[in-house]
Amino acid sequence: MARVDVIMPQMGESIAEGTVSRWLKSVGDAVKRDEPILEISTDKVDAEIPSPAEGVLAEIKVPEGETVEVQTVIAVLETDKDAAVSAPSEPVAAPEPVAAPEPVAAPDAPAPAAPRGDGTVETAEERLRQRSTPLVRKIAAEHRVDITQIHGTGHGGRVTKKDILAFIESGAPPAPVAPPATPAAAPAGAVVHPTVEAWPGDRVEPMSKIRKLTADHMVMSRRTSAHVTSFYEIDFTGIARIRQAKKQEFQDRGAKLTYMAFIVKAVADNLQKHPVLNASVSGDAIVYRKAINIGMAVALDWGLIVPVIRDADDLSMLGIAKSIVDLADRARTKRLNPDEVQQGTFTITNPGVFGSYIGTPIINQPQVAILGVGAIEKRPKILTLDDGQDVIAIRTMSMFSLSYDHRVVDGADGDRFMADLKRDLENFPEGAL
Amino acid sequence: MAEVTYLEALRQGLLEEMERDPEVFILGEDVGKYGGAFKVTEGLQARFGEDRVIDTPISEAAIVGAAAGAAHMGMRPVVEMQFMDFIACAYDILTNYVATARYRAGLSTPIVIRGPSGGFVRGGPFHSQNPEAGFFHTPGLKLVCPATVRDAKGLIKAAIRDDDPVIYFEHKYLYRRIKEDLPEDEEILTPLGKARVANEGADLTIVTWSAMVWKALEAAQTIEQEDGATVEVLDLRTLLPMDDEAIVASVRKTNKVLIVHEDTRTGGVAGEITARINEQAFEWLDGPVMRVTAHDTPLPYAPTLEDHVLPQTDDILEQARWLLAY
Amino acid sequence: MVTPTANLESLPAGLSRDQLVELSYYLALTRSLEERLVNLYRQGKVIGGLYRSLGQEGESVASAYALRRGDVLSPLIRNLGSMLVMGARPVEILRQYMAKAKSPTAGREMNLHFNDIDVGYLGQISPLGDMIPVMAGICLSFKSRGQSRVGLVYIGDGGASTGTFHEGVNFAAAQRLPLVVIVEHNGYAYTTPTSAQTGVERLADKAKAYGIPGVTVDGNDVLAVYEITKDAVECARAGGGTTLIEVVTYRRKGHAEHDDQRYQPEEEIAEWAETNDPIDRYTDRVLRQSWATREELDDIQARVDRELDQAVKECEEDPLPEGGTALAQVYASPPASERLWFRGLHG
Repeated sequence: MARVDVIMPQMGESIAEGTVSRWLKSVGDAVKRDEPILEISTDKVDAEIPSPAEGVLAEIKVPEGETVEVQTVIAVLETDKDAAVSAPSEPVAAPEPVAAPEPVAAPDAPAPAAPRGDGTVETAEERLRQRSTPLVRKIAAEHRVDITQIHGTGHGGRVTKKDILAFIESGAPPAPVAPPATPAAAPAGAVVHPTVEAWPGDRVEPMSKIRKLTADHMVMSRRTSAHVTSFYEIDFTGIARIRQAKKQEFQDRGAKLTYMAFIVKAVADNLQKHPVLNASVSGDAIVYRKAINIGMAVALDWGLIVPVIRDADDLSMLGIAKSIVDLADRARTKRLNPDEVQQGTFTITNPGVFGSYIGTPIINQPQVAILGVGAIEKRPKILTLDDGQDVIAIRTMSMFSLSYDHRVVDGADGDRFMADLKRDLENFPEGAL
Repeated sequence: MAEVTYLEALRQGLLEEMERDPEVFILGEDVGKYGGAFKVTEGLQARFGEDRVIDTPISEAAIVGAAAGAAHMGMRPVVEMQFMDFIACAYDILTNYVATARYRAGLSTPIVIRGPSGGFVRGGPFHSQNPEAGFFHTPGLKLVCPATVRDAKGLIKAAIRDDDPVIYFEHKYLYRRIKEDLPEDEEILTPLGKARVANEGADLTIVTWSAMVWKALEAAQTIEQEDGATVEVLDLRTLLPMDDEAIVASVRKTNKVLIVHEDTRTGGVAGEITARINEQAFEWLDGPVMRVTAHDTPLPYAPTLEDHVLPQTDDILEQARWLLAY
Repeated sequence: MVTPTANLESLPAGLSRDQLVELSYYLALTRSLEERLVNLYRQGKVIGGLYRSLGQEGESVASAYALRRGDVLSPLIRNLGSMLVMGARPVEILRQYMAKAKSPTAGREMNLHFNDIDVGYLGQISPLGDMIPVMAGICLSFKSRGQSRVGLVYIGDGGASTGTFHEGVNFAAAQRLPLVVIVEHNGYAYTTPTSAQTGVERLADKAKAYGIPGVTVDGNDVLAVYEITKDAVECARAGGGTTLIEVVTYRRKGHAEHDDQRYQPEEEIAEWAETNDPIDRYTDRVLRQSWATREELDDIQARVDRELDQAVKECEEDPLPEGGTALAQVYASPPASERLWFRGLHG
């Protein structure tokens, strides 16, 4: 069975419709090819429509007087003489293109701007531009939000208007571990975490924004820096004594004298002497930071956050002690300002707070070193007395670890820093308080 | 109220202006007795006589030049180009003479050059063009591109009353395809330079004009139904003057812009709109300004080829969705 | 078979009997092909517009017949007969009108807008008059290379009002180029009568302004058109420069099939159809002079019908071109990467 459609032709460029003025053939009539079967009229012209094939007029779809759009099927011809006129209509459409000679393939849409093929890393500027739009940057500036700390849902992890508005909406902006807004030394491209099969009874929940950001950052840091870790044991007995002596005095002045305050002070002093540890890698260059801004990792119930003690080298012990307490307190109550988690140049993390002997911390990009502080506790220690005799003594001890970026920090650099730090802590002058 | 087509609305506008002002007259090829190739001026010669609806030789340069001369003397000529593609034949006199007349010589040249532009009608390379960009670049000309029945009438009337030379790009695909009820007892006059919000939206702005307004509206509707986002469709109505204020207001509202035009891409008007947005609303952008346009080819004849080259609703949808997710 | 009764001396215009009969073939082919196209148009298979040359086939066929291999002509939309004489095939014309992938322009251009300069034709573009300077340039190449080739270009009574007509003819005349300009005076430019188009009574008078010969000929007298064109062509070939020929004919159909031609008086159309049809006139002469018999002419028509059946069959079901093929060949060497032409860079 073969059926051929009769269509309303388009007679003129602007012509959208035509009217069936008269059927010259009735259903069941035999028609020859090119024999007139109906008359139409349009806004421009009247015309007889010749049959597109030889056959029998099987169906009239548009009655006389009715107006239809051009290309509408107005009748159907049965070209198989034996087929019944009343056969269900199964229109044979006008020939559709099936193939064309030498099809020119449309060029592939280019890949989204992403990891560079040449292995180079994007600059901080590039990264910032890729991560945010003018509007997002404007909103960020107005609300003093660090764009890089927001999880982006746009193309390639871009922070969209919705993302930043939601971030601001969510109250005190959390400041998860994330690279500061200035130079970044991260390779472009989102981190992909392999998927794992969940077993029956397992609970699967999506990562929170801060968790996802931390996860990405940790992997990115491992991939970016050549991590090595050195370990030093520090004798805190002297500091413990000073702390005990000055505790009340500090408390009276509104501060809490913690071991961390001593460590921050000593680290700040030594970073001045060892600038390569207070630096960043930017492409093929090293950025030596003028400021010494010491980040201090704080564990919270909902994740990790690193408030920054700005210009720590300019602060007195009292100032440092006050800052530590204040920042940690406000971190826990989500009251940190965005700029208080930005622009760290060195980080100290304190796994010892939970009793850990020591850990091997991951560098907080784009910094080049992080200091891990183990538990500070009394331990037996072999001392050599002035007369050369060895004794076992009860000392307040701690194990320190320094993870540093071996791309720019040689082992000797790291060890010299640690040796100096150890010396300063073990001989902390009481007068410095 | 009476339902009229875009084409009838144009005719009404011409008729009303000819009735209002005896200085208004029409000249062009086949515009008189026949009423023009598309019948826009049908009946006007019978109504106003052969002196006010003049059939001319096939001489676009002479038609435009003669209109300019009459305009200098205080008349208000309305020139029909049989197809806007042929305005190229008058390019010299339009750009070198007409556009510069006021600046150079202090001469007023209030002429309207109107005619069918645009594709989607299988007209091939010489009956389908959108030649606005060539004139957009010429200081001294105004460019009008009506998308609706109401604007077809309101803008032709405003164009005729305007004291500058106006090129009025009608879209032949719309001539008999769109209809609208127009009031009979109220004068419709649409000021030049005022864009129209064809659809309110919050998440993305589509800046467009002429027949593309309808495709943009289709895309906006689909996005609203399927994606839950709302798209603002801004119908510019006139390219010169351009309603920067309306564009910037919409950018500040939605922060994302897609410009859609039927003309080809390189050197098209979308480039200028993009530049203006950059200059005036950069900090309000939450994504790059993107374009959906025709491909950079002459317009081919075969339906398959024409449909490929011209921007379609699906192209707008695709680009809009990409921008929404940006 | 029929024995020709005419002797050689009685044959006009230096044409052989075979050639005279061949003219009948081209006339029949032109008219019948257009009739096929009308049906295909009304069946929705011809896309866009359809432009008939009914009543003008004689001058198209005869003028082109005056050229020889190596010459080049540029037709207008109504010069289907000229195209066929030069060697364009009906299936090519059909494919053009139906925008098929296999059409000479692969669906990019319409109707007679296509070229085969080697075979001898260069298609027009829609803005009228543009082909005159272009053909002048083609003739310039003939002249500067010392070739004895000739160009022929058609323009209508309307197209002769354009600036490019004037500039083109003037250029050819000033350079003494081997170009024959045929002004087809068929009474109407779309709807505009010649009286509204120009102040001259005879379009041949325009030649005076360029300092070239201008002649007028009865366009529906096939052999008269042939002879006068032949003279102009041989003059051009011999270095005599440009000639303008006004052929007087009549457009019996509207500008296009979608034009109801209400501006043409019905009596006028009927009179030309009944008393001055070029094919009828030529057929009468062929029979009267016994260059061929009625049976021979019937055979020719039957051959034409067979060829057209075959041509329609050959291409009717052909596909349209694939959309993506629209993008190639805009430049020999694209000025920008192709992705710039491509919408939706990020799609």
